[in-house]
Amino acid sequence: MDNQNGTIYASVRLLLQDMPHERGQLLPALWRVVEHYREITPELIGAVSEGLSIPYAEVYGVASFYSLLDNPGGKMPIYVCTDVMCLLQGAEKLKHAAEEAAQDEPVAVRESACLGQCDYAPAAWSGKRVLRRTTAQELVTAVKEAAQ
Amino acid sequence: MNQVRRLLPGFQTTSAPTSVERLKERGFEAGLKKVFSMTGEDVISHITASGLKGRGGAAFPTGLKWSSVYNAAGPTKYVVMNADESELGTFKDRVLLEEDPLGALSGVVMAAHVVGAKKAYCYIRGEYRDVERRMAEALQMLRSEGWVGTDGVDIEIRRGAGAYIAGEETALFNSIEGKRPEPRVKPPFPTIKGLWGSPTLIQNVETLANVAILFAHDTEWFKQYGTKDTVGTKLVAISGHVQRPGVYEVPFGMPLTDILEAPNLGGGVVGSGRLGAILLGGAAGTFLSREEVASGRLDYGSLAAIGASIGSGAVMVFDDTVDLKWVTARLARFFAEESCGQCVPCRVGTQRIVELIEQGGFKSRTQDLRELGLAMRDASICGLGQTAPVALLSLLDRPGLTQHA
Repeated sequence: MDNQNGTIYASVRLLLQDMPHERGQLLPALWRVVEHYREITPELIGAVSEGLSIPYAEVYGVASFYSLLDNPGGKMPIYVCTDVMCLLQGAEKLKHAAEEAAQDEPVAVRESACLGQCDYAPAAWSGKRVLRRTTAQELVTAVKEAAQ
Repeated sequence: MNQVRRLLPGFQTTSAPTSVERLKERGFEAGLKKVFSMTGEDVISHITASGLKGRGGAAFPTGLKWSSVYNAAGPTKYVVMNADESELGTFKDRVLLEEDPLGALSGVVMAAHVVGAKKAYCYIRGEYRDVERRMAEALQMLRSEGWVGTDGVDIEIRRGAGAYIAGEETALFNSIEGKRPEPRVKPPFPTIKGLWGSPTLIQNVETLANVAILFAHDTEWFKQYGTKDTVGTKLVAISGHVQRPGVYEVPFGMPLTDILEAPNLGGGVVGSGRLGAILLGGAAGTFLSREEVASGRLDYGSLAAIGASIGSGAVMVFDDTVDLKWVTARLARFFAEESCGQCVPCRVGTQRIVELIEQGGFKSRTQDLRELGLAMRDASICGLGQTAPVALLSLLDRPGLTQHA
């Protein structure tokens, strides 16, 4: 184990120390990791695997299943709903506007399956805040905010 | 006909959604006390007498489910509230939990008390962070009031992480257990072997809220609305080309036209102003033509006659300019994306449907699409694969809906 790995292992151990170390806590543990590191790298999977005593392959299998844990590059994600109801309200254009604004920013614009906000279509989600009946302008602002 | 406010708090409700005052004002505290003073059999017979059916989509009789878990052998039992609402066009549980989280949570406490569960989980989709916070506040209040805690039932919120399939009940168990959320083969059913192999009562948010209002009042009150076959009210989530998209509570049996048109419900079709079709029940739902909407009612029996179901209560409204083949192509991509890949008919089938539609097979390869759809329906492990082709098949069965496009 090299030094960098050692540091990550130690900080993940710290991150998970107050939760029960059992298989049933794997998803909550992965949430903590992704909220802290913004992405789940092979090293982090190794650290969770060691911390919770769950085989690496099992942790990988679970971590790679969920779309909200999948954030390669660790940029701040902004999710634009591109399912039917939001597309009918112009989600495609909004996505392009957000992508353009995010080009040189540490922000990743991602398409999302139905966000369950169809009464306020088109919708987007910053991971913290839901943007309802959103506009290109609001999304661009959200991208700039996320970049800070 | 008008909307009803029973599951959703009345407009005159003044207390804060997560406050003890709300618990009292809505009658949930009295309901909890009532349930705690009754025997389990008695509670279940009240639910059975009410005629309540599950509101998650399958409409399974709630009393029967409770009775099955109640009678199942095993030292440990669990209750799970399924708030992993990810069906396309469905947002009723979000609105219900935003407006009145204590109803569904009181239902969880009642359920745990009756079946003897010491631990319950509320599984909520990861994108509903605001709702999750509100639920946590409500739980905190129930804890301080003594309804939740290690003495009775301990309730834990579990946050999903973006997987439609995790809403399938057995996949949801795997998710809680820290495994990949892939569905299990049924039987055994969750009532016998659910979470960690123990008997588990898993219910949709709206079903549990119905239990809470049932005991906040009584069976006769509960039966004031609905039809002979389906008692009570249903939350419908209307979206798309209507004046007032949103969640409304309506009695079973309400004409579909009223849901779309009534001034305090959908408020009428917008867009071109002319109705093209509705998609009833979500991505796995059924397209209904203008004529079917005109004669249809929100009831399982009358909808079954035209091959439709209420499903989750999603009503997606399209004006007559929307290309429904395009909608179907989007739905196909949704399912291909969300298939867990465990079983072949679904993993391969959802991909093939996308390809067939995108290659223009909607007209030229109708028979292939049908056969593929039927194979998926018959051979997939879970509801996702079984119902993924439903909307497509319903559109193939209604050629009139795609002629203009």
